[in-house]
Amino acid sequence: MSVADRRPPRVLVVWCPDWPVVAARADVAAGADVAAGRVDVALGADVAAGRADVALGADVAAGTGGQAGANGTVPLAVLAAGRVVACSESAREDGVRRGQRAREAQYHCPDLVAVPRDEGREARVFEQVLAVVEEFCPRVEVPRPGLCALGARGPARYFGGEDALAGQLAAAMAEHGFACRIGIADGLFAAELAARAGHSGMVVPSGGTPRFLAAQPVTALESAEMADLLTRLGLRTLGEFAALPAASAADRFGAAGAVAHRLARGLEPRPLATRVPPAALSVAMEFDPPAPQAEPVIFAAKGLAEQMHAGLRDRGLACVRVEVAVTGSDGGESVRLWRHDGLLSALAVAERVRWQLDGWRGGRTGDATSEAGDAAGEASDATGEVGETTGDAGGITMLRLVPDQLVRDHGRQLGLWGEDQAEDRVARAAIRVQAMLGHEEVTHPVISGGRSPAEQVTLVPFGDARPPRLPPDRPWPGSIPVPAPATVYPDPLPARVTDASDTPVTVTGRACVSAAPARLAAGPGPPLPVIAWAGPWPVTEWWWEPEKARRRARFQMVTDDENAWLVTLEDGRWFIEASYD
Amino acid sequence: MQAGISQVVVASAAQAQDRVLPVLSVLRDLFPQGGLQRGSVVAVPGGGLLSLAIAAGASAAGAWCAVVGQPELGVRAAAGVGVDPGRMLLVGAPGERWPQVTAALLDGCELVLICPPAQPAPHVKRHVEATLRRAGGVLVVAGDWAGAQARLWVASQQWAGMGQGHGRLMGRRVHVLATGRGAATRPAQRWLWLPGLDGGVAAADPGIGGLAAPALDDTEQAMAVIAG
Repeated sequence: MSVADRRPPRVLVVWCPDWPVVAARADVAAGADVAAGRVDVALGADVAAGRADVALGADVAAGTGGQAGANGTVPLAVLAAGRVVACSESAREDGVRRGQRAREAQYHCPDLVAVPRDEGREARVFEQVLAVVEEFCPRVEVPRPGLCALGARGPARYFGGEDALAGQLAAAMAEHGFACRIGIADGLFAAELAARAGHSGMVVPSGGTPRFLAAQPVTALESAEMADLLTRLGLRTLGEFAALPAASAADRFGAAGAVAHRLARGLEPRPLATRVPPAALSVAMEFDPPAPQAEPVIFAAKGLAEQMHAGLRDRGLACVRVEVAVTGSDGGESVRLWRHDGLLSALAVAERVRWQLDGWRGGRTGDATSEAGDAAGEASDATGEVGETTGDAGGITMLRLVPDQLVRDHGRQLGLWGEDQAEDRVARAAIRVQAMLGHEEVTHPVISGGRSPAEQVTLVPFGDARPPRLPPDRPWPGSIPVPAPATVYPDPLPARVTDASDTPVTVTGRACVSAAPARLAAGPGPPLPVIAWAGPWPVTEWWWEPEKARRRARFQMVTDDENAWLVTLEDGRWFIEASYD
Repeated sequence: MQAGISQVVVASAAQAQDRVLPVLSVLRDLFPQGGLQRGSVVAVPGGGLLSLAIAAGASAAGAWCAVVGQPELGVRAAAGVGVDPGRMLLVGAPGERWPQVTAALLDGCELVLICPPAQPAPHVKRHVEATLRRAGGVLVVAGDWAGAQARLWVASQQWAGMGQGHGRLMGRRVHVLATGRGAATRPAQRWLWLPGLDGGVAAADPGIGGLAAPALDDTEQAMAVIAG
């Protein structure tokens, strides 16, 4: 038996049936606006159906009382994309099933209350369950809201056996008002099936997992396609599937089949990534007296972020997201999750803190959130509290950074010499200037592609990582040859180019110049005699897109003060694009 | 003779390596210490490519270079003379707060190029100079700065490669003069291709003939300055 085929560890799974429904009811009990609004609508339906609306009131009251079980009297269904994701026991009795369309569900159960799915809500309410479970074992994995898993070996020894552990956990859950089923088996997959088996879950004895799995139907596999295929091939139970040689299963069904086959044999498809309580890795700093300015808080944030990264590094971890919580002296709090992916430097975290403070104190919550969306890719919905603006009335009393969603850190190659220190010093200076002038004001040039000198450089705000606007590694025919101009006007200067008889010089459609340029005048300045010139070099760009299309003719000119200029003719008007001083 | 002096300069520069930032080898003769003395101000009244060329040597050796108040700086030209864009910071519009910005950047970057909006007030200058000495960086001013340790300017220039309607700009031959306070009072001069054919800096043959009249005037003016 190879290492990979070793029997998986004992896993205990706590499964809360119909979790989306339970979470929706808990939210109704808490008086969330959206859900409450839905209930009102449903109430109207109740009256129309001639039912006593007392039932609904009683149910909501029962929810308030903490009995958030799915056996309420009002049938409730949670919908996503127009289909039923989960429904309450009463709805199920009326014939509502998972996967039904909303209309079909209403046909079966006319007084069904439909609530849109909110995964954030499900995760939020599930935290209460996790709090109960974490009293038994601090390392809990959450595969999805409604389901959590923990290694059963240690707690079982402590609580006097697996049955005793399951019994005590079920009792604690019932005490907090959560209906759940508990299963214990070898590996997560079997443990989840064990939790779903029987009326309140079951404990599969150690070593009995393959036998337990063998009796399960192939539909237990998460992949519906795989289950369908196996059924059509005449394999109805996991046992029949597991009896196939592993190599044949992999040959016939590919990687997904190999994983399914391992599961059917009672093996682990992946190791359990246990959830470390984030408290140990979170860092916080209090400001006494409260800091009225953002700058000291940002400086503190950098130190804190370094501390947090050191803590993560010691455990060989990285975080997917970092939660930044700022508390004001008036008690207001701003909490936001920023995408991290183990890539942000301490400076970049400090930067996120600055954006958050800007958004919070400036009261421009909307702007700040959109910026957060851009930068973080996936900003959380934890911005609800940000709405309260403190203005500049109070200072900041506390800053807390919490790493969220820990993953294994696969490392990053650092410079060999002390480069980091110098870069750190520069970064500190840059962030100070950014604090003074604004984030966009300190930039870092990136050489880009393009034909005009202004296009050939992309200015990236310091601390951001942006690709060049145009790829520099293309040939760009028609671009300005080296040497490059030392002065490139961000807004080209209007100019006047005239020939010897003082009439403006023009260029025909076939790139023929009307007369040799004799004088060049920049804006209102005096005209200077042109002693040498070259051109015109026509440039036609974006001709396939009428709004962006540009036709230009470029010249290089040297005036008699020995200054050289890059001059452009576009739409009959002359501009000085750059100068070679 | 010229070579002998330059060797001596190089030797003394090697001894005091930590006190000077390196410059491009073709510019070394223009600085009495063979490089940019830490804590000093270098004024380049004409600005432009010359100020970038002065920063190039240190940038190539690993120094960070911040540019304040020059939004029209040509980064490709800077890269051409040898400034590494990867170690450049640009602050385009510091406005009234340029002294604070300059001071903050001097704490992090060894080279700061500024273009002060007008003749700055004496107390502002003292503040910037004090920060400069403490941080040990070098301030390159595109403009004039009373009390600068070194002053460099282009006395005459001539573009090559272009005629009447043909060719293209290939290079500029410039005559650079340098003067300064104290040890730098010895006037120094150098003929350079700035930029050369590849956009870089190279030594050029002294050009006597073929210069336009205004250029000669400039040289006379420069000699007058040195004499004064």
